Amino acid sequence: MAETRGGRPISASQRPTGGDKAVAGQKKQYFRRKKVCRFCVEKVDDINYKDVKMLHAFVAERGKIVPRRISGVCAPHQRRLTDAIKKARNIALLPFAASY
Amino acid sequence: MNRIYEELFIVKPDAAEEEVDQYVEQLRTQLTAAGATVDKIDKWGKRKLAYRIDKYREGAYVLFQFTADATVVKELERRLRVSDMVLKFLTVRIDQTLKRLEKRKKARDKRSARRAANAPAAPAPAQPTAAPAMPEAPVGPMPGQPKGEA
Repeated sequence: MAETRGGRPISASQRPTGGDKAVAGQKKQYFRRKKVCRFCVEKVDDINYKDVKMLHAFVAERGKIVPRRISGVCAPHQRRLTDAIKKARNIALLPFAASY
Repeated sequence: MNRIYEELFIVKPDAAEEEVDQYVEQLRTQLTAAGATVDKIDKWGKRKLAYRIDKYREGAYVLFQFTADATVVKELERRLRVSDMVLKFLTVRIDQTLKRLEKRKKARDKRSARRAANAPAAPAPAQPTAAPAMPEAPVGPMPGQPKGEA
């Protein structure tokens, strides 16, 4: 019993830390909305390089491609999106780097 | 091996309208002479360029869509490169993309058709099970709602 008790405090001490984490998480407590891929939701099959308006939404102010972790686009669509943006840049529909 | 291509090129903004038309017509005849079939010619008109090309800030975009061999494309690109009027061009092979899109569309139609076919049959057996499932029902839509808002 003593040994098991000796063993327990560790696990018990581990448990509270786990609990603390949860508390810390609760303390911060801001709700992060689950991001969903816009193309999956809207069932967009074709990400075309000529659709400048749409591509503009996925290009940052300076002309950089917005990363997936920010835009929430899924990997297969991000791949196609990247291709489209690069093509659009090539034909001067989108900037390589926006100048001020 | 015929492939479908898309050729988008930018013509200098100071070229006259007739001049551009003439050039486009010339390209079209050359393409057909080389054994290509021109499916579509689309003139977008003048657009602001995203960056400066040869000191021009705007340009007239012209889009060709045609079916041809790879050799025809090579020749067309050479012509565009040689031309004084053309600032920049981009050739994209689109037959594979079109194929993919068609396939996806077909799959989607099939799925929706199947769903439509299943829907009238589903309610009858679903109703008896729906009663015990009722308490779960409010839980179901909840996670769905923020998605809908987003």
